[in-house]
Amino acid sequence: MKLRILLVLAVASIFSSGLLAQTQADDPVSLVENITGRIYADVTENLEEYTANPEALEELVRRDLMPLLDVKYSARLILGRAGRDVGEEKIDEFSDCMTNLLINRYSKALLYFSSEIKLNVLPQRGDLNEKLTRVRTRVTLPGGGEAPVDYAFHKTPEGWKAFDVVVEGISYVTTYRNQIMPEVQANGIDSVIERLNSGQMQLAD
Amino acid sequence: MKKVHSIIGVILLSLLLAGCAGTQSRNTDPETDPWEGYNRKVFAFNQGLDKVVRPVAVGYDRIMPDPAQRGVGNFFRNLDSPVTYVNQVLQGKFRQSVSTIGRFLVNSTIGILGFFDVATEMGIPFYNEDLGQTLATWGYEDSRYLMFPFFGPSTFRDGTGSVIDTFYSPVGQVFHGSNRWGLWIVRGIDTRARYLDQDAELNSAYDPYVLMRDVWWQNRQYQIYDGDPPMMDYDLYLEDDLETVEPVSTGGE
Repeated sequence: MKLRILLVLAVASIFSSGLLAQTQADDPVSLVENITGRIYADVTENLEEYTANPEALEELVRRDLMPLLDVKYSARLILGRAGRDVGEEKIDEFSDCMTNLLINRYSKALLYFSSEIKLNVLPQRGDLNEKLTRVRTRVTLPGGGEAPVDYAFHKTPEGWKAFDVVVEGISYVTTYRNQIMPEVQANGIDSVIERLNSGQMQLAD
Repeated sequence: MKKVHSIIGVILLSLLLAGCAGTQSRNTDPETDPWEGYNRKVFAFNQGLDKVVRPVAVGYDRIMPDPAQRGVGNFFRNLDSPVTYVNQVLQGKFRQSVSTIGRFLVNSTIGILGFFDVATEMGIPFYNEDLGQTLATWGYEDSRYLMFPFFGPSTFRDGTGSVIDTFYSPVGQVFHGSNRWGLWIVRGIDTRARYLDQDAELNSAYDPYVLMRDVWWQNRQYQIYDGDPPMMDYDLYLEDDLETVEPVSTGGE
């Protein structure tokens, strides 16, 4: 088990040019602090480059953020009973296009908030259990004000991974689920995947 | 007090609309939204109304420089302070209520009638309470989702609360004065302008009605619990497909 975490860390750190080596602690709060902190720092530093080349930013987000997420679990939660009988491959396919969507949106938000991004990770509170916990953060917005952004984490064999983002109480999983489940039931999963891939689907933050 | 008549008018209009809502058969969330048929009709009415309101809000958004727009937002937010204060007291949040008084005094004076949010810069925290939230903390937790014409998403509890809130608040009287329509309209346009960014998402959603309900409902729970609602039960989301599909995160040896 330990070995596996080390292995994952080792592989990940190669991809992130050694930066991930800082991530010694693998509790959810440290994970969020380290990884988002690093992404924000990178964006602030190379803002001009990323504005000119948004794909490079998407690449950065994919490389640094993805190891923190359990996108397949999110996909299952979103599909719910609509995910029945569609087969493993379809769920993977669906999870992939949700991931692309998420990366795209996250990157755009990073550019939009640009230099004024400030992240404040609140300390862990008592309500965590061994399998499920919530990390609460505050993002400082341009022009004052803070947006509360929470991450729901669960424990996987590869360590803690986030599977839901909650902005001002609005859950990504719940909100997408209530849109996508009925759509899959009405039109079938292939049609939904096609729609997602063609970029028609834009909802919630 | 003419305000009373207009509110009663709105409620009567709602009841009239309810009367002809019998044919709608959609029921996406019978528990929280048993009046969905009626609510969808009002939603459609509001969407129609928005064809007129939106262009005005877009114009307002273009003409007003960002700091000025922020000032207008601050002004209305400051006017809500007495409502927040009373409801903090009703909920026994005395320490927080002192901070709300402080904010109101500072912003109404140094902040020039509330246009400048000096209190936040001084580090006085902002809270938001209303009668709907008070009733919820008193135990009236579940209330039916209710869409109001003009005002949008709410619940039976919160709608009733909002109406009562405007009466006991001394500042609510500002809205009852002779220039009340002007203020209501400016506030409406200002509020609408804040949601312009979300239009594309709402319009491209599979079911815009459900999207609006979800976003409003979740955010409202968040307000009621002062930013700390209990974590939801994600397992419930999987229960349905557990029989046929392997759970994701087993296999941990």
